[in-house]
Parts: sequence; C-alpha cells; structure tokens
Amino acid sequence: MKISDLWMSLIKEWKRNPNVGTFSWILHRVTGVILVLYLFPHFWSIASSRWGAEAFTHKMQSYETPVFKFLEMGLVLLVAVHMLNGLRITIADFFFLTRSQKALFWVAVILFLAVLLASAIAFFPKIFV
Amino acid sequence: MNLMILYHIFIDIQEKIHKLKVQDMQEKRTTRGVYGWLLQRITGLFLAFFLIVHINVMHFSQGSLEIDFATVTQRLQSSSFWGIFYLLFVPAVVFHGLNGIWGIYLDYQPGPRAKKSVLAILWLIGIGLTLYGAWGLVPLFYA
Repeated sequence: MKISDLWMSLIKEWKRNPNVGTFSWILHRVTGVILVLYLFPHFWSIASSRWGAEAFTHKMQSYETPVFKFLEMGLVLLVAVHMLNGLRITIADFFFLTRSQKALFWVAVILFLAVLLASAIAFFPKIFV
Repeated sequence: MNLMILYHIFIDIQEKIHKLKVQDMQEKRTTRGVYGWLLQRITGLFLAFFLIVHINVMHFSQGSLEIDFATVTQRLQSSSFWGIFYLLFVPAVVFHGLNGIWGIYLDYQPGPRAKKSVLAILWLIGIGLTLYGAWGLVPLFYA
C-alpha cells in the first residue's frame, strides 16, 4: 500500500458521503497521523537533556526562529482541530447527542476560530519579526 | 450535572461494550478492541486536559518565554504536580497515538497474520517510545 492509496481512500469516502461528518473524520485522521509523527522528533529534542544543560538549551534555542515559530503555530492548530473534534465525538457518544453532531461540529468550528485568533496574537510577533 | 447523568453514561458505556462484544463473537473476532475504544476515549479526555496545560505553559502564558535548561528545570521542580503530570502524559499520548494508528490500519482489512505482527510492532514502538520519552525527561526533574 502506497501513501497515494491512503489519500485515495479518504477521497473515495468523501465522494461517497460529502458531509460535515466525513469532512471532520478525514481531518481527524490526517491531523492524528501528523501528531503521532511529531511525537518522535519532539521526544528526541527533549532527550537532549541527557547530554547536559548546555546541549538542552542549545537545542531549545535552535527552535527560536521565525520558521520554527510558524511550524509551532501550525502544530497548535493541528492539536486544536484534533482535540475539538475528539471532544465533539466523545460528547456525542457519551451524552446521547449523536443527533446533534452537526450542530456540535459548528460549535467546534467557532471554538477553533477562537484558538486561531489566540495563536495569531501569540505567534505572529515571533513569526513576522 | 447531577449523579443521574453519570449513572446513565456508565450504563451507556456498559451497553456499548456489550454490543461490541456480541458483534465480535458473531463475526468470530477476538482482537477487535472493545477496551481499545473505551481507552481511546479516556486517554483522549486526559490528553485534552494535559495538552491545554502543556501548550498554554509553552506558548501562551507570558511567564515562560525563555526556554532554557535552568528555567525549565526550575519550573518542573517547583511542584510535584509536574512530575505526576508528565509521568501520566507520556504513556497516555503514546497509547492514544498508536491506538489511533491501529484503528486506521484495521480499516484497510488486513489478514489475521499481518494483524498479529503489526500489533506486536506497535506494542514494541509504544513501549520503546514511552521509555524513551520518560528517559529524556529524567534530567529535567533531577538536575
């Protein structure tokens, strides 16, 4: 199985059922996989503490560039998408609200826009220096 | 929110587990994780809390703009809260992530043999990654 096959299976699902439910399902998958992949370099850079205080500080400060700040902002937004949709699924599952999943989707969209605004305020000064 | 709602949620979870178990038996499956589904929900709720705290401290609160060894160790050692926090965070995030990958993998209808070896590989990666993550954090708590 190739990566393109994985993409195709998501597109096929979308064509079969073009709906907010499918849209959020695709987003949940894509963001989830990226976040799992992110764990590896994240743990790797924290493990630099094993080689002493200097090594750790040096590693952390190497991320203090506009490019990394931009990527970090993207990461925060990925987490927000995955978290908000995950909470939406959990709420629908446990609070007998499956019938309101679409309304919950739009609530999640509004909350995401709030996170987007907050992260723009926090990150833009460090991205556009 | 009253206790009655919690009671209903508890009954609802039990019903879901029962339904999934019956479905598994009918389709002669044993590896499909009924508890995987529940654990994904539970770790997900924990991760929502962990990540809000973690990302807030790292990127949003003004007090932590400097990320260097001295300030990080000082913050992490300021209270036993942070030790417990990351001790739970690391395994929870590794489990949630790899269990998610496992769920995606099952969607592509693998054969029983492939399933067995992929599950073993995911467990190895999970245990390895958890130990690696914890190992990397140790100096920040004891230096």
